[in-house]
Amino acid sequence: MSDYFINEKDFGDFLKRLVRARNVLGPKAKRGHFVFGRIENPEDLRLDYDVTILPPKKAFFPTCQDLVRFDGDQVSGCIDPVDQVLFGVHFYDVKAIDMTDLLFAERGEDRNYTANRQAATIVASSIQSVSPRAFWGSVGKEVEPKGHDAFLTKVARGYVYQSRTPKGSALLELGKFRKAEATELEAARKADEAVKKKCPETLKYGAAEVAKKVRAAFPDEKLWERLSERCFSCGSCNLVCPTCYCFDVQDHWNVDQRSGARTRYWDACLTSEFSKVSLGAGNSENFRESRGERFRHRILRKASYLNEKLGGPACVGCGRCAAACTADIADPVKTIREVMEAAS
Amino acid sequence: MAKARIAFFDFASCEGCQIEMTNFGDAAFLELLNHVEIVEFREALSEKTTEPIDVALIEGSFTREADRARLEEIRRRARVVIAYGQCAATGGINALKNHQTDYKEAVYGQDAGMPHLDSDKALPISVVIKVDYNAFGCPINKYEVLQLLSHLVHGKEPVIPSYPVCVDCKRRETVCRYHEEDHCLGPVARAGCGAPCPASGVPCEACRGLVDDANLASIEKVLVERAGFSASRAAAKRMLWTANQGSESK
Repeated sequence: MSDYFINEKDFGDFLKRLVRARNVLGPKAKRGHFVFGRIENPEDLRLDYDVTILPPKKAFFPTCQDLVRFDGDQVSGCIDPVDQVLFGVHFYDVKAIDMTDLLFAERGEDRNYTANRQAATIVASSIQSVSPRAFWGSVGKEVEPKGHDAFLTKVARGYVYQSRTPKGSALLELGKFRKAEATELEAARKADEAVKKKCPETLKYGAAEVAKKVRAAFPDEKLWERLSERCFSCGSCNLVCPTCYCFDVQDHWNVDQRSGARTRYWDACLTSEFSKVSLGAGNSENFRESRGERFRHRILRKASYLNEKLGGPACVGCGRCAAACTADIADPVKTIREVMEAAS
Repeated sequence: MAKARIAFFDFASCEGCQIEMTNFGDAAFLELLNHVEIVEFREALSEKTTEPIDVALIEGSFTREADRARLEEIRRRARVVIAYGQCAATGGINALKNHQTDYKEAVYGQDAGMPHLDSDKALPISVVIKVDYNAFGCPINKYEVLQLLSHLVHGKEPVIPSYPVCVDCKRRETVCRYHEEDHCLGPVARAGCGAPCPASGVPCEACRGLVDDANLASIEKVLVERAGFSASRAAAKRMLWTANQGSESK
């Protein structure tokens, strides 16, 4: 599409009109941290956020999502997409959304996800603050973000708005945008390049090399046992991950015992019950019984198993897992470094 | 379908879990009565029964040998037994006394010698009878109990979470207590409550007990390193509701 510019002083008016006209989800403050939430007042939009607690995929794939509601023999689906604008998504989360888009669409499309996704407009934005555990500057460099409808970059005196799709261009009428000048585009490019060098953590190895070596380390049980010794099996690393997509499905009855819902919940393969399966007649089997096996599974999922399908690692370097891990053992940069060093 | 006959029984407890059930309020509670028949419920009903029952909800811990016969009698006539609340499920707060000798004097002072205060270790009822399901929590989560009963009414297997409270916190995007320079037992505490405490800025105290594979060495280390606890306080911190669940009870 095309590239536009809006002045700092006109940007506030644009946001005012945007939140009036559309259902906007954006980064907002929560107890000194950030979450994607409904923006009703433009002042609540915090484009200077570093990272949100949960990734924005929750807009399409809520942490708890009714799939089916029932009342006696009457059963109805719950697919009811709402038009929403995700405003201020960082490029690493755009990459992650591209991945979940592919994973939910392949081999039997998951309409509960794709219907919400198709109804959404994604306005990505440049990173103004870098979170303490971020390593998006060095991971999966071969994967370009592509699912967004527009990209907003803060430059001197305003914002460059690069529209990529008709959905992205549809927002232009809400603000005093003009065509961007070459110098402004160059400033935006430089800003986005420069910030990628500001990550406090760096993954020093290429994706192919990592994929090969972590896979080769599979049989090294002692290594995985050591790396996971302090693991709580709490699943926090999974639950904050923008590329994790597993869910559990449960039925609930309302008190009338006639009506209720079948609901899916974000699940986590680090929890011990995730891999517990029924063998029938009250018997069960856990196919990843130890912490080490579960810890290994996550690293291999992120660094190797899905690489071919996704064109790169299933990790975008947001650092949410590193920050969320109470025992501080989940950081992919540290873990991969240890695995690589153990392998060499 | 015929109404399921359910009965509440209590042993060493505050009966707060029975009260919690009545907190559903009239509308929900009376609606529930369209589907189950409550045949014994001391907090809300004066009748008692000796008839067979479908679901026995047993509150309180086993603290006296004399209670064994009564528990066995309930088990004999109940199709399903639910340990109802933390005292019944693990011994709960009562189990604190298992590790102390001066509790009677500390609590009752000059009345410490009253004969009815004599009791043995506080233990889960599962040491005496087979328990089919646990409704954890101090008090129970009434919505969870409703689901438990609903699943039984519909002939489905109830699902009792064994993952930590961190899962519930993440699902509601709560700011981690450790990110506000606080402490929390969430990483070893059994979920299913929906994590209301951390969402209100209050640390989890593990009132539903520990998860099955709690990493206690790791939580002690975290309490020392991240919350600044002394080693002894870190080791004792979880005892309030889990005094029967660590190595101290083995």
